[in-house]
Amino acid sequence: MEKETKLSVKNLKISFRTDGGKVQAVRNISFDLAKGETLAIVGESGSGKSVTSRAILGILANNAIKDGGEILYDGQDLMKISEEQFCKIRGDKIAMIFQDPLSSLNPIMRVGKQMTEAMLIKGKTNQKNCRNDFNGMLACLNKNMDETRGADDPAVKAQDKEFCDKFDKFECKHLELENAFVAAKENAVEALSEIDDVLFHIEKNVTDKLRGEIKDIIKLAAKTSDTYVVCAREQELTALLEELKLLLKESPVKKVRDFVVPIFRRGAEIKDDTDYAAVAVTLGKIKEILTEAVNFDEPNFFYMGYYLTFAGQELPQLPIKEMNAELRKYLDDNFMLEFIRLAKDGIRYSNARSVEDKKAAVKKIDDSRSVFQSEEYDRKQINETVKALVKCVEAAIDRLETVKDNVAYTFGSSLRSAVDLYFDSVKRNIKEEKRFAKQTAAYDKKAASGKTPDWKVADKNLVDLQAVKDGIVALLDRIKGKYEQDIQNSALIDFDARTVGMIDYLKEKASGVAHKVTRGMAKAHALKLMDEVGIPEPRKRFRQYPFEFSGGMRQRIVIAIALSADPDILICDEPTTALDVTIQSQILELINKVKEERQLSVIFITHDLGVVANMADRVAVMYAGKIVEIGTATDIFYAPAHPYTWALLSSMPDLDTKEKLEAIPGTPPNMIYPPKGDAFAERNKYAMQIDFEEQPPMFRISDTHYAATWLLHPNAPKIDLPQAIKSRIERMKKAHGMDGVASDETAAVNVADEATDAPADAQAEEAVKATKAKKPAAKKTAAKKTAAKSETAKKPSAAKSAKAKSEGETKTRATAKSAKVEKDADGTASVAKDAKSGAKKSSAKSGTKSAAKSSANSGAKKASSAKMTDTTAGGEDGN
Amino acid sequence: METNDNVLLRVEDLCQYFKMGPGRELKAVDNVSFDIKKGEVFGLVGESGCGKTTTGRSIIKLYDITSGNVYFKGQRICAGTRCYTDANRALRAEFKAERAKLNEQCKKEIEEGGDEQSVKAKYADLIAQASQKCSEQVAANNKLKAAAIHDHKRCDKDYAAKRVAALTEEMNAKLAETDDEAQKEKIAREYKEKLRIAKRERIVNSIQMIFQDPIGSLDPRMTVRDIIAEGLVIKGIRDKNYINDRVYELLERVGLVREHAGRYPHEFSGGQRQRIGIARSVIMEPELIIADEPVSALDVSIQAQVINLLNELRNNLGISVLFIAHDLSVVKYFSDRIGVMYFGKMVELASSDELFAHPLHPYTKSLLSAIPLPDPEYEKNRKRIVYNPIAEHDYSVDQPTMREISPEHFILCNDAEFEKYKAELNG
Repeated sequence: MEKETKLSVKNLKISFRTDGGKVQAVRNISFDLAKGETLAIVGESGSGKSVTSRAILGILANNAIKDGGEILYDGQDLMKISEEQFCKIRGDKIAMIFQDPLSSLNPIMRVGKQMTEAMLIKGKTNQKNCRNDFNGMLACLNKNMDETRGADDPAVKAQDKEFCDKFDKFECKHLELENAFVAAKENAVEALSEIDDVLFHIEKNVTDKLRGEIKDIIKLAAKTSDTYVVCAREQELTALLEELKLLLKESPVKKVRDFVVPIFRRGAEIKDDTDYAAVAVTLGKIKEILTEAVNFDEPNFFYMGYYLTFAGQELPQLPIKEMNAELRKYLDDNFMLEFIRLAKDGIRYSNARSVEDKKAAVKKIDDSRSVFQSEEYDRKQINETVKALVKCVEAAIDRLETVKDNVAYTFGSSLRSAVDLYFDSVKRNIKEEKRFAKQTAAYDKKAASGKTPDWKVADKNLVDLQAVKDGIVALLDRIKGKYEQDIQNSALIDFDARTVGMIDYLKEKASGVAHKVTRGMAKAHALKLMDEVGIPEPRKRFRQYPFEFSGGMRQRIVIAIALSADPDILICDEPTTALDVTIQSQILELINKVKEERQLSVIFITHDLGVVANMADRVAVMYAGKIVEIGTATDIFYAPAHPYTWALLSSMPDLDTKEKLEAIPGTPPNMIYPPKGDAFAERNKYAMQIDFEEQPPMFRISDTHYAATWLLHPNAPKIDLPQAIKSRIERMKKAHGMDGVASDETAAVNVADEATDAPADAQAEEAVKATKAKKPAAKKTAAKKTAAKSETAKKPSAAKSAKAKSEGETKTRATAKSAKVEKDADGTASVAKDAKSGAKKSSAKSGTKSAAKSSANSGAKKASSAKMTDTTAGGEDGN
Repeated sequence: METNDNVLLRVEDLCQYFKMGPGRELKAVDNVSFDIKKGEVFGLVGESGCGKTTTGRSIIKLYDITSGNVYFKGQRICAGTRCYTDANRALRAEFKAERAKLNEQCKKEIEEGGDEQSVKAKYADLIAQASQKCSEQVAANNKLKAAAIHDHKRCDKDYAAKRVAALTEEMNAKLAETDDEAQKEKIAREYKEKLRIAKRERIVNSIQMIFQDPIGSLDPRMTVRDIIAEGLVIKGIRDKNYINDRVYELLERVGLVREHAGRYPHEFSGGQRQRIGIARSVIMEPELIIADEPVSALDVSIQAQVINLLNELRNNLGISVLFIAHDLSVVKYFSDRIGVMYFGKMVELASSDELFAHPLHPYTKSLLSAIPLPDPEYEKNRKRIVYNPIAEHDYSVDQPTMREISPEHFILCNDAEFEKYKAELNG
């Protein structure tokens, strides 16, 4: 496992009730979001990007119907939790930057209040949550420690308890000390940067707004004295600050009316006689002291906390490093080693027990599987089984694991809701049938009397019971697989690492408890954020109302609010579309910086591909409620595979574009009646017959890159990338000195690669079987209009027979090509895979393999080009 | 002023200040000069709040400009008075200073023992001369100011009068040609209609605007036909059939169909609404379109459609465009020349290729370094250059002016910087 998965969306389906019918906004999408990763979702408006993100945050409109799917986050399924639980997650864990800054700010509240509000509320709840987590985990650890050593002995129990209490106590002391230190140090760093700024302005002789800044410095510098920062020179610093204050006092600012320069009719000119040379000298001295303070060695407060709490004596007067060593020794001797040993035993015990329980749970699942597979569910029996099963599964969870296992934690709620859905639907299906029968009868009656009714009977809205059952069984399989894997892996667990992880977790939670957000802190943080998002004069702006800001400024406030809550996952819904390039890149940099600092996971929704290239680690391209292509940024931009991605890329000009832009013709499909086949087929000039008939499965191109288009099927004609994109990709590659892998060659390799994988992919294989009958005729034409459909269905076959006679040579070549592809699929997988690396160092690789491959490639290319001409000819015939 | 036939719009020292409470002013646009040639697309870029939109709106007379002149087809359509009043104030202040100085001298001479009367008479004479000179200059300025006010307020009427005169002449010439009474009557009837329309003609109608927000700029209670035809109706055309024909023609030109004329704006998608906005401005047969961020509110694919449409209009109808946008790749693709604005000032102006190949002003460089491109490898290594005017320029002694550094490439700089940029350009 490379990275911890933060959020996973599985088979999400969402639709909206409207007057016209049920609009299917999101149709079965799945993706994972790893920790510290940015996933960009690209697509036209109406493709379901925003709906997906809103579903994650639980703020769908009232007319939304959750048709199914799961959103797993932190041991919870966000599709099923209550509004109260969501309140804890929203803003705190998952924050969102909204597209429209007008409607996302409260017009009658000052922005400052809006910015600090979340921080203050969140500070309190966070403290509470952390305390609960900390206490719970420590208690659990305590219990396990007891049980390991035989719980009956009261002496042992008392000892364990003492250890845990001790840890609790000195951890608090440690954080108290550390927080004071960090705050002081932060002030010092900030004061330093401000001093640099002021000195620069003095040097440049721009002294308009300096007085305010100098006052800020005085305030900040006064707060830099902690026991361990600046302690040595505190008095000196105070004296210097006094001096600075005096300098400002001596020459109060006057407002003078000034008409000497009438061109700049500014009315009141500010007259400032402050002696900035002297100020600069003083600031230089302060800077020296603060720099020294910032570079001061940091004592280890963890050790110190223990020493101060339990040693009962003053700290030894030693240099910091030696003192650290000394204190550490004291801590280890008296407490830590023993505690770690006990904790490790406890964790090992807990794990062993959990493995046992898991074995039992797996058995139980196997037993009860038959109940869920039965033809008809018996309510009582099912309920009992569910109850027992959930209890068994939940008991098997190792509570001492710091990373919560989504599958196990959500099993209960998922199973229950699935069973509920089944019983509800049984009833509702009957009702629905009755309604339909009744209405149809009414309709027929009216129609029989010779009138045409001005209404239609709505279709039956039935729930597929078999699918629900299958879902339940899949749930069982999933948890079983997970547990079996856990049982297998249990031998490999590194308990030392786990113990350290546990202590870190406790420390982190404890720091959450100790971190108290005051009004002043919230304001300071808000001002800093405002500065970071590029709002000039934050102090003044802090007290203004939203209507006093321009659109771009408002957007920046919204971004600052989202960041102020310090979330786990940040969802950005077109955050920079309304901003100009400079601010846009400033804000993207800010989001990237925050992301790196806090290991933030970001979902970035946009239609600006330039921004995507900047931000995204992975890109998902959405169209008509489905993900049509997903891959890393490099995959999508250098080797796009789906025609829609091509269209998006070629409709955007870059700095070298001269030719006419290729706009996508037509409009997105009406999602009340989603198309049967590929949704993009109507607007796709590479569309084949099959695109209108069947939805393409996700074809695998590489480990990270998947696309849903029939063009990737081994039997499909090979189509080159559009010229505009091809030349652009080549240009980009040349610019970066990347190896000259011509894009079409990569595509060829991709197809071959895919062919090797396709048989392995059960879904794809099925699809191939299902469509094989249609294929020979269907493949040939690019039909665009449904009207022409029937015509084209006949003609190609005629064309084909004609061609079979006259163009025998071409045909053999074409078949040769497909045979070649098939052959690749069978045996020469290694060749195909080598081709990638081989293409990169083609000069170095002179083996027969690559030579053979290249000849095969060129052959395939020729054949395909011949085939392409056929295809186009057939298409023209059809039209 | 001398007019170049090729120049359609000339903006001279345009200043647009806004009042911000007592005694304070916001200089939204400050001393901006440029011209737009016939059939050219002139791009205006800069960050939000730098005055791009204000410049566009000032040109089309949505604001009364503070100072400067705007000439359209050789005729002055906007003129500000601030420069004259400021000059007058300066003259008066100068005169006052001189009078005080003379009075001082007069007193001094009397104290030194001069003949009081003759000295006083001499200085009274001197002061009268100065006063005379001052008032003459002020009067000259006032005359210019009056002319400016006249042009600003009555340019449309002048234009209409000119048109009417031209038409009358034409009619008279035609009338003189024929002797047939019936024929004469026919001509008179024909010209009567034309004259009626000409009387209400306004020169500013040849400049049309496309607005940023396609949703907000269309009246939700009017059908598409009404929206597109509104300009014609205001112009005074009463022929329903003619109006309908024009509306249908325009709808087809912008890629919609006739049937759309009877619908309401809310029935259209964003891109289609923007097309309606374009049709509305094109129906007036403008020679200049001011496109104020026409694509920034649209999806990528629709952006491409709208840009292609604008490109087509420009190629087929020869319309010039003042293209205001902040998406630099679009501006680069669409514009012939680009002006870069920063806080109300034009800092650099060059042809689009030249500007992107040799950006000289530090702000332009910073702006170009911020363009995101669909290329992950480039994006990873892109370093944004931060522009800090205080660090970059030292204008304490030498104020900057617009200078031509290479043919058709202008830059705002002072002497020292001019040399620096020149070295950079050549070296």
